[in-house]
Amino acid sequence: MAQEKKKESAMKRRWGMAIDLDKCTGCGQCQVACSQENNIPLFEDDSELLKRVVFLDVMKVTNDRDRAAQYPNVKTAFIPKMCQQCSGNDPKNPKPPCVSVCPVVATDVGDDGVVSQVWSRCIGCRYCQASCPYEARQFNWWKPEYEGSFKESLNPEVSVASRGTIVKCTFCSHIWKRERDKMLARGVKDINAVQYTPACVSGCPTGAMVFGDLNDPASEVSRLAKTDRAFRLVHTIDTWDEAKKKEAQAKKDYPNPKVYYLSSQQWLRDMMRFK
Amino acid sequence: MKYLKQAFDFCVNEWKSYSKNIQITLLVLGFLVAGFLVFGIQILFWGLGYTDMNNMFAFGQWIIGDLGLVALGGGAFTTGFILYIFRNDKLEPLINSTVLIGFLCYLFTLVFLVFDIGQPLRAWFGYTYPNWGPGLMPQSMLTEVVWCLTFYFCVLFIELIPIPLGHRLLDRYPVIHAIGHYMHKLMWIMAAVGTFLSFFHQGSLGGGMWGVLYGKSQWFRPHFFFLAIVMATAGGTSFMILCAWLAGKVMKKEVVPMESFQSLAKVSGIMMIAYLVFNAYDVYSMATKYVPLYDRTFVDTWGGYYGIWMLVLEFLFTLGAIVILVVPKFRNTEKTMVYGVISGVMAIVMNKSITVLHGSSVPNFPWKPFVGYNPTIQEWFVFLGGLATAVLIYMWFAKYLPLFPHADKHAHGEEHHA
Ligand code: SF4
Repeated sequence: MAQEKKKESAMKRRWGMAIDLDKCTGCGQCQVACSQENNIPLFEDDSELLKRVVFLDVMKVTNDRDRAAQYPNVKTAFIPKMCQQCSGNDPKNPKPPCVSVCPVVATDVGDDGVVSQVWSRCIGCRYCQASCPYEARQFNWWKPEYEGSFKESLNPEVSVASRGTIVKCTFCSHIWKRERDKMLARGVKDINAVQYTPACVSGCPTGAMVFGDLNDPASEVSRLAKTDRAFRLVHTIDTWDEAKKKEAQAKKDYPNPKVYYLSSQQWLRDMMRFK
Repeated sequence: MKYLKQAFDFCVNEWKSYSKNIQITLLVLGFLVAGFLVFGIQILFWGLGYTDMNNMFAFGQWIIGDLGLVALGGGAFTTGFILYIFRNDKLEPLINSTVLIGFLCYLFTLVFLVFDIGQPLRAWFGYTYPNWGPGLMPQSMLTEVVWCLTFYFCVLFIELIPIPLGHRLLDRYPVIHAIGHYMHKLMWIMAAVGTFLSFFHQGSLGGGMWGVLYGKSQWFRPHFFFLAIVMATAGGTSFMILCAWLAGKVMKKEVVPMESFQSLAKVSGIMMIAYLVFNAYDVYSMATKYVPLYDRTFVDTWGGYYGIWMLVLEFLFTLGAIVILVVPKFRNTEKTMVYGVISGVMAIVMNKSITVLHGSSVPNFPWKPFVGYNPTIQEWFVFLGGLATAVLIYMWFAKYLPLFPHADKHAHGEEHHA
């Protein structure tokens, strides 16, 4: 039994994503796919933006930060942002900002690096929400409701949350479980990124989103994450030299997300830095 | 029917015996408590959508209330420790009131926590599925808070028992008298246990809980845990003086001798110096060491509604408390001493507001603005109504139970004279 476990851990994947912002048109298809897949509530009046539940938010960013950019130099980009599946300094011993804080173990990191959240265990204290630097955790301020016939199209694989609980993107881990079970039935013990793809990635019409295993150096996502175009959201430590980085990491953990963004536009990369 | 009439007459007579000011105070408190009930039910049954908290601003007024109440209620452990362990008998007249305030502070902390969590019916998960982690120490600061708070609440409850037992109706019975007497004698054990527990949860709820959030530049600093303990001893003692002094003013008699107040005020003043030094180091280390780790500057993390003025005010209040409570001339004058303790309490309230309001308002992305927060009527009523309930309980104790043995002795003495 113990041996089998060891074999399994040797196959461990580390799921990650790379999103090419230069290819993203901001169409919002990823958000729609995510919402439908994950039973995101749909209120009649969804205008209360700060209390809305969305796992994937498409953020609009412009270079007009200080109202200084003039036509025709104003630039805009869209950043699809979901849970960044942080790992902390050491991905082998993951320590996302949001996991150790939970008082009731409603959230954990799987051995594939995905940060889970169990709706029905959550007591709604929102401590994890305060701890998340990427605003990825959402609280059900109101009772989730589904307008009109939406109730009939709910996804049976994802539980509908109760009011007063925290929910978040789990890289559609229910798809992973479903596909893994299918493959196991066929005797295959490992699954790859083709069999398991989160809804947002399948939904993207321009191919801006790539999903895969960061542990596999040959995977596309690994390759993209290593290119010069890659950066991570507000994670400027990536640009520091090695010595400074080491020194900083000795003082504290860094989120170290597994979602990479790609862009050749310097202004967009500059936007990742607080002035 | 006869009893109902008697009870009604009793109430009417009681009401008539109160002065105009007390009647108005009671009406205001009653109004707040009624609001607390109505809006409390709304929040518990229809959820936190009725608050102004949101996905950007996860914590609001009730959490400030929690942090403030626990820190200020922390005066109970300091006072108990100084009285029972250091044997400073001057604090004896203050101790009953102190224990009661501590108890009420913790009680309402728990009440506010229950309102604040989205699933109050799952509150017991904190005990049944605690996040202990692999070692002896809890992994989540909030697990530590829940357990420690509960234990200390029980300790305060036990410390509270001798007060009603001292009521003359009960004290007549030799058995009850003996129980009360021996409980009082053994109270140093509770004081020691309470101090031990307090060190942990004061540190964790007041500071550690925020200090561990390594993703957030506005909160992260490893020493925050210890700063919160110093803060609670400094501000809590001021708060204990303030409450007892207010009670004396309302009851129009000397409930606690000035000497006791001054003795505790001195402790508060000295702890305020420690707090000032530690707090200055805190700001310095945030500016030079911790915030730069995030590639941000300290000053830039301040803005929006909750600017750096809050920090300046906090320092001014601390300085005010130090000057008044440490210099004997000011401390020994009743009026200035009261200003001193108010200043001390305000310094703590300011610090807690900074932690919650400023902390929650800081943007996480460079392209986002500071977030504002404007509590709704529901939040105000639950908050103020909760505090009003605590005040009413305190008033009840002060009127009907031997909360201030010194005042009782005094009053009996006067009777004898007459
Ligand atoms: S993005 Fe937020 S929710 Fe996701 S792992 Fe990081 S801290 Fe946790």
